[in-house]
Formats: sequence, C-alpha cells, structure tokens
Amino acid sequence: MSAQIAAEPARALRADHSGAASASSAVHYPFTAIVGQEEMKLCLLLNVIDPRIGGVMIMGHRGTGKSTAVRALADVLPMITRVKGDPFNRTPEEVARDALPIESAAERNGASPTPRQPRDSRLRTERIPVPVVDLPLGATEDRVCGTIDIEAALTQGVKRFEPGLLARANHGFLYIDEVNLLDDHLVDVLLDVAASGWNVVEREGISVRHPARFVLVGSGNPEEGELRPQLLDRFGLHARIVTITDVAQRMEIVRRRRAFDADPRAFIAAWQPQQRALRRRIVAAQKRLAEVEMPDDALMVAAELCMRLGVDGHRGELTLARAACALAAFEGRPRVTRDDVKRVAVPALRHRLRRDPLETTDAGERIERALMELQAQA
Amino acid sequence: MSLAFTDIVGLEAAKQALLLLAVNPALAGVAIAATVGSGKSTLARAFAALLPEGAPFVELPVNVTEDRLLGGLDLEATLATGARAIERGLLARAHGGVLYADGLNLLDRSIVAHLMEALASGVVRVEREGLSAAHPARFVLVGAYDPSDGEVPRGLLDRIGLIVPFAPQTDARLRAEVVRRNQLRKGEAEAGALPSASSRLRNEAADDETHMLRAMIADARARLPHVRVHDEQVQALIQAALSLGVEGNRADVFAAQAALAKAALDGRDRVDDDDLRLAVRLVLLPRATRLPEANESYQAQDEQPRAPEEPGRSERDEPNGAPQVQSEQLEALLLSAAEAELPKDVLNLPFAMQQRGRSGSRGAALNNRRGRFVRAVEGDPHGNRIALLQTLVAAAPWQAVRRAGTRSSAQLAIRKEDIRIKRFRDKAGMLYIFAVDASGSMAINRMREAKGAAIRLLQDAYVHRDQVALIAFRGGRAQVLLQPSQSVERAKRELDVLPTGGGTPLASALLTAWELAQQARGRGIAQVTLVLMTDGRANVGLDSQASADKAGLQREIQQLAALLRAHGVRAIVIDTQANYLSRGEAPKLAEWLGGRYVYLPNARAEQIAKALT
Repeated sequence: MSAQIAAEPARALRADHSGAASASSAVHYPFTAIVGQEEMKLCLLLNVIDPRIGGVMIMGHRGTGKSTAVRALADVLPMITRVKGDPFNRTPEEVARDALPIESAAERNGASPTPRQPRDSRLRTERIPVPVVDLPLGATEDRVCGTIDIEAALTQGVKRFEPGLLARANHGFLYIDEVNLLDDHLVDVLLDVAASGWNVVEREGISVRHPARFVLVGSGNPEEGELRPQLLDRFGLHARIVTITDVAQRMEIVRRRRAFDADPRAFIAAWQPQQRALRRRIVAAQKRLAEVEMPDDALMVAAELCMRLGVDGHRGELTLARAACALAAFEGRPRVTRDDVKRVAVPALRHRLRRDPLETTDAGERIERALMELQAQA
Repeated sequence: MSLAFTDIVGLEAAKQALLLLAVNPALAGVAIAATVGSGKSTLARAFAALLPEGAPFVELPVNVTEDRLLGGLDLEATLATGARAIERGLLARAHGGVLYADGLNLLDRSIVAHLMEALASGVVRVEREGLSAAHPARFVLVGAYDPSDGEVPRGLLDRIGLIVPFAPQTDARLRAEVVRRNQLRKGEAEAGALPSASSRLRNEAADDETHMLRAMIADARARLPHVRVHDEQVQALIQAALSLGVEGNRADVFAAQAALAKAALDGRDRVDDDDLRLAVRLVLLPRATRLPEANESYQAQDEQPRAPEEPGRSERDEPNGAPQVQSEQLEALLLSAAEAELPKDVLNLPFAMQQRGRSGSRGAALNNRRGRFVRAVEGDPHGNRIALLQTLVAAAPWQAVRRAGTRSSAQLAIRKEDIRIKRFRDKAGMLYIFAVDASGSMAINRMREAKGAAIRLLQDAYVHRDQVALIAFRGGRAQVLLQPSQSVERAKRELDVLPTGGGTPLASALLTAWELAQQARGRGIAQVTLVLMTDGRANVGLDSQASADKAGLQREIQQLAALLRAHGVRAIVIDTQANYLSRGEAPKLAEWLGGRYVYLPNARAEQIAKALT
C-alpha cells in the first residue's frame, strides 16, 4: 500500500523505555493489507516463487509504500532448512559440497579456535524463515562481505573470519532501500556476488569463499538520483509505482494505516488468515513450478516481443519465460499461456529497451504498444 | 535561561504544529522554515520542556558524522573488557523522544538518508567497521531550516508530517516584542543570583503555563484514540491533496492524523472543519505542486456538510452520490480557506522547488575531515581521526607477545606503530549551472539544446555524483527552472516549460548563478561550472528595468563576473549568435568571467556536453 509510514510511530514520545530488546525487531505492516500497487507486489511474489528470475528493482515516488512492501514480504515467506547454526544458511548437502569450515555458536564464542571439518552427513538441521536482510546505507564493505573477527583477535590473538550480511542473506533476500544512494563501489561488489552466487573475501590476511545466493531487491526514487543503466540491467524485473489517485483506495489506505498505527499487534492478528493463505499459495506454487510447461506459442510471443522492441541479448526472453512460468504456478495452472507472457512483459522488459536520452515516452507504454501490435498481427 | 514556550512571540504556526506533534507522534515530525534570529531554536528548546517526564531531547549538529549518528565502537569499554562494546548514536539516544536538527537543509546526504531510514523503520542498524547491532530509534523529528541556505531534501521533508512554511515577520510590533522579551530574559540571567521579585513572578507564571500545557497535552494524548473522523472528512482531505497535486499517498495519513490531533487538543471527540483546515494548512498546502483549479464548487461553500451520524462506523465507499457530493463541498471549503494562505506564486512552496535563495549563506561547511571514510592508513593521530578497528586489528596479533613481558594480562598493549588514521574522500561532485538566454527568436532552440546537454551530462555523470541546475533569463529577471539536481527525471519534467521572448537580463542571470553557487558550497560541492548560453547582449539591468545606459549595464555585468570569478566559479560562455551580427560581447563576457569562450551558433546538445568535459 502507499503511505505506510513509520513502523510504530505511536510508540515514540513515550516516557518508558521498556522493551528495548524487542523493539529492535521492527513490527511490519502485513503484506496482504497493502492496498493497490499490484505490479510491485506481483514482482516480489514471482521472485519468491522462482529466485532465478533475478530480483526486482522498484522505482517510484516517495510515500508509495516501496520499503513497506519489501519489509512486509518477510512474513509471508516459507521456511527453509539449514544446518543448525550455520552462519551461511546452508543445507547439509551444501556443507558437504563446500568443504568450508563450519563453526558452532559455542566455538564462535571462543571454545576452540581451530576450524573443524564436517564429519558426516548427519548434521543437525533446523527450519528458519527465509531471511530478508536489510542493507543499511551506511554499511561498510567489511560488514557486507565479512571481515576479521575483532574479538577473537583481541582475546586470543587469532585471525578468524566473521561472516557479514552477504552470508546472512544466503538463500534469502537482500534488500537495499535507496539503492541509487548506495556507494558505487559497494554496488559493484553486490552485483558481482549476486551474479556469481559466491562471496570471496581476501583481506587482512584472511581468505574465504562462501556461497551467497540471494534475490536482490532494490528500491529508490528516480528523483533522488539516477540509477546507472548497468545496475538496472542486472535486475530481473523492474517495477514502477506511482501515487494512487483513486479516492476510494486512498481512503482505504488511510483507514488501514490508522488502525495499524493505533494497535499494530491487533491489526497484524486480524490479517493473519490472509497472510496464512498467501503463504500456503506460495508454497504450493513453488512445488508446482518444476512441472509448469511453457508451450511454443507462449515462447514465440516472448521472442517476437523482444525482437520487436529491439532488446539486446537473451536475458529478456529468459526473464520473460521464468516470470511467466512463476505466474502460472502462482495461479495454479500447469501451462503458461500467451496471456501470462503479456502480463509480465512490462516489468520484465521495461529496463531493457534501448535508451534515448530525450525519449519522453515511458518504456512501459512502448511495451504495451508492441503488445497491441503483436495482438493485431495474430 | 531559556524562554518558556508560551513566552515566545510569533512563530504561531510552528507552535501549533509542535503541540499537534506532542499530542500525536504519528505525525513523525515538524519542519520549520525560518531565518536566523526568528527564535526557532528557542522554540524547540522550550518545546522540550513540554515533553513527558524522561523523554529525551537530542540535538543533531549539522556536521554530525555517521559514527556519531548511528553509533560505533566504544573504545574505552572495548579496550577495558576485550569484548566489543557499542556506543549508541544520536538516533538511538533520541528513542522515545525528540530529535532536533537545526539546519535540515545543511545535513550531509548520507546523514539525511540515515534519518529517513530511522524515521521509516523506527530502528537504527549499525553495520560498519566490524560492528553489527540494531537499536530501537522511534523518535519525532523537529527540524528547522533557513530557506536561504538551500532546500531540504524532498525525500526527508516528505516523511515529516507537519511543514511550517516560511512566513517572514513583517509586523514591526511583533519584532519589537521579540527583542524586548529576549532582552528581559537576558537581563535577568545576567543579574544572576538575585532575581528580582518581578522576574521571579514571571518565571512562576511561565512555569504555571508550562504545567498547564503539559497537562493539556497529556489530556489530549489520552483522548486521541477516541477521536473520530468521518469518511467524508477523510475523503475531503484526499481530494484536497489531489487538487493540490501532492505527490505520494503518505500525506493523506498525515493530514488525517493532524486533524485528529487538533480535535484532541481542543478537547473534542469529533473532527470538525477547523481541524481539517489546519490539516490542509500544515500538511497538504506545503506539499502542493500546483494551484487548485478554480472550480465551480466554491459556490457550495456556505452549505454546511451534514452533521455526521453514526460515527466510527465506516460506510464503505458507496458510489451512490450523497457522500461524494458532501466531501466535494467540504473539499471546496477547505481549498477556499487554503487559497488565502497560498502565496501568490505557488512555486515558492518547498515542494515546488522554486525558492529563490538570498545571498549570505553560511559559507563552506566543508572541512578536511568530512566525507566518506575510505580507508585507514598508518599515520600521526594528531589532527586526524583514528580508525579504531584498524588500529585494534593491527595491534591484536601482537598481544600475546607483548603481554609476555609484563605481569598484567588484562591490558591491551597498543603501540604507536599500530595507530591507523582515517582517510576521507569527499564525494560531492560538480555542479553545472546552465544559464540560458531565453530572449529573442533563437530561444526555443537554445533551451531545447541546453536541456539535452543537461540531461546528457547527468546520464554520463552518475558515478561522479554531479548535479545540474538550469536558469533561464528573459524579460525582467532570471528564473531558476531547475534547482541543483541529479535527477534526469526531474530535469526532463521541469524543463518542459520554456518561457521565451522579451529583454535580456544578463546581470540577473549572473547574480542568480552566484547565489546557486553559494548554496552549493554550503552543501559541500567543491566545483561549480557556469555554462552561459547567450550572445552577451544585455539590455535589462538588475533593477528589472530595460535600460539604454549601456555603460551602466556593462559595469554591473563586469562586477558580477568578477564576483563569480573571485568565488572560483568556472565559466564557459557559449556564443549562440550568428556570426554576422556578433559584436564581440560574448567573448568579452568570457574574459570578464575568466572562462572559456566557445562559438557554437547552432549549438547541439552533444556539442555542448562535449565542450564541458
């Protein structure tokens, strides 16, 4: 929805400082209670269903609920399995594959500084929610990539790797708000890791390589600063959101936001049935995805559209196909239709059109036009 | 000694806004535009006294660093215990209270981003220099700014519920009263230990008023959850927002919350028209990007909206006419009331981005210890900032060895050679000011190419964080069409209007450029380049009058050119005059500016962009 403001602003100005610990885990507005902004919501969900789509960049006006939607996403994500306490969220198979030392929490606290290899495949596992890691703007490279554990260095005089945000985001989502304000150098690092799925740290005498597969979600306001085209290309989907002008929808936004601000917990509880239903739907779609077929006529639409729009390379078609499959899976259908392709065409291709600095027609409109021409031709 | 809240003269709208904020923190904050000496800081401090017991009031200095804002390693504790200890930053310390920033428009870009983040999430996350922590940071932001120092980043302003636009105190009696009361207080403070009976009395009276206000606020806060607002009233606010071209949907919620707070403050359980009007004035109007279209529904304004029945029960948006009509009437009422408040030129509102800065900004806020921490190097700690983590890391491996020689095992041994100091890189890029002669027949073409060049520069310049501004000059004076911006989107949108024709106020253009350059310096932009597209033939002076006194005009321009030159503004004059008419004025202008002269009679966007790089 739009206009979702501070998480619990009603709590400010309160004299008591109770709950300092619990307060640091912010209370999020429920995803299913978000009014409108369907394109953005769909783009996020498609990436949950198929992370290979390659993330989403959300650009739009201030106060339209970009960050609210992403932060709300965490609550509808399914659970994943990882080796208990693994800082990289790996499955037992991955631990065996990587031959990367794992350390238990006890060891991290200094019980034994020598790394231990996985002994057998009967590692204990645990279920955790898909991580959604927020990358704050001030983050330094060492915290993002991981660095030397200063405590171990201080107390034991040893060099040990301390995983950073990229480790925490493995098998999850990495969210960067105001991505256009992020340090360019850091953006480059992130894109490299997102593309390869591996984070390589070579610093201060430490050499570590660990898996870091995540869905990159960025958001920003085009008026705060332009995004590098190279950066935009790397995102699978590109959603654009605008101010809602429908009065009825806006009234609903105000109504829900007021209810949430007045009593966040009660509001969240009231939306639990919808949240649960969406979660179930996502899990079902993930299961179905492998069986979803993409018939030739749908593939043809994708290819023709890309040709007509002069999209370079094949990333456009690939993303179109994946997103269309995820959409079919989400809606419980075994086969992708031409219509599925058309529905995801705008966010999948909007950022892949050739750029003309003085072109004033919105890319979305150009895609819609090409779709109409295709329709007429058929 | 500080003045009590009620003792402060003027700034009535600001006081009103602060009271609403105290009642309803969902409003997130108050931004006050006021010049130096108007009493905004005094007001903010007096406001602190109205807060509930124990609520912190934290001041945010303009030159605050990221470490201080977010929190960082507590060296003392870390060294003492050998385990890392984190010192809370200003954002976390403001939790549950007020963060006060004087100079909202002078804050560093990254600081603004952190402020916005904290306002949005209520949490401050520290992920830097080996630390990882999250602290709660729910606060309300009270910000003040002097509009002549430049604009407040719009993203930040958007997250602040109440905006008090600049209202110069023109009332001479009011001004005199401000001075009088201030001096009274000062006199008393200087009198020191023996306050006179009258001043003691006055103090008690002020204390009483403070007590009263606090009780009033507490009462209103208790009432707030029970105040009801009608669907038609919310709808009227939304329609007013639409009419005023308010961007985003956040303002709707703020407007509703402001109306609720006002009702609670007045001891009512229902929002009335006055509450709505105040909400329009403090929330929607300052965010207006256009004037409401004069429409026929103003006639309906004496029909009062139907007294709301069955309050609290929200009738869902039925499209059956009645509520719609009602809310439209209400909206008309709100807007007609707002009309009176609206400055003649809506573009003077902060969101319309056309504030004209005055000269005399605070000068360079830049110093050699700001910018982004890039890396740590070995060096002398004197006059530099120590990179704690890197210093500790450098020292860590040697601890066991160094300890061996001493009895103590708890101490951390750091030697001079371990010390690492921080190296900063200032990220501020360049500012390109395009000043385009919009008089005469070639104006449209010139403007289009200037726009193209501006956009091209922005697109190529992303990595450098450059900014572009555009000034058009024609008729009586120069006008800033685009305030310094990095946004291609904005450049495209705001440069669509191309007023052309009329006289050539070249002097005014130079003055405006100088003002923009000064503001940019205040924000830490090191290099300003002025791109002047003109034939150099001025015929309108600074007084906005067409003048035949050629020598006088020339003198004016020469002086301004020297001023720009003295302030290190790089200049490029692009002569757009067809050759046979040229009288050598543009080359002379370039000479005065100490800049480059480029002859491009049919200047194309690409050529201009190329000439600049």
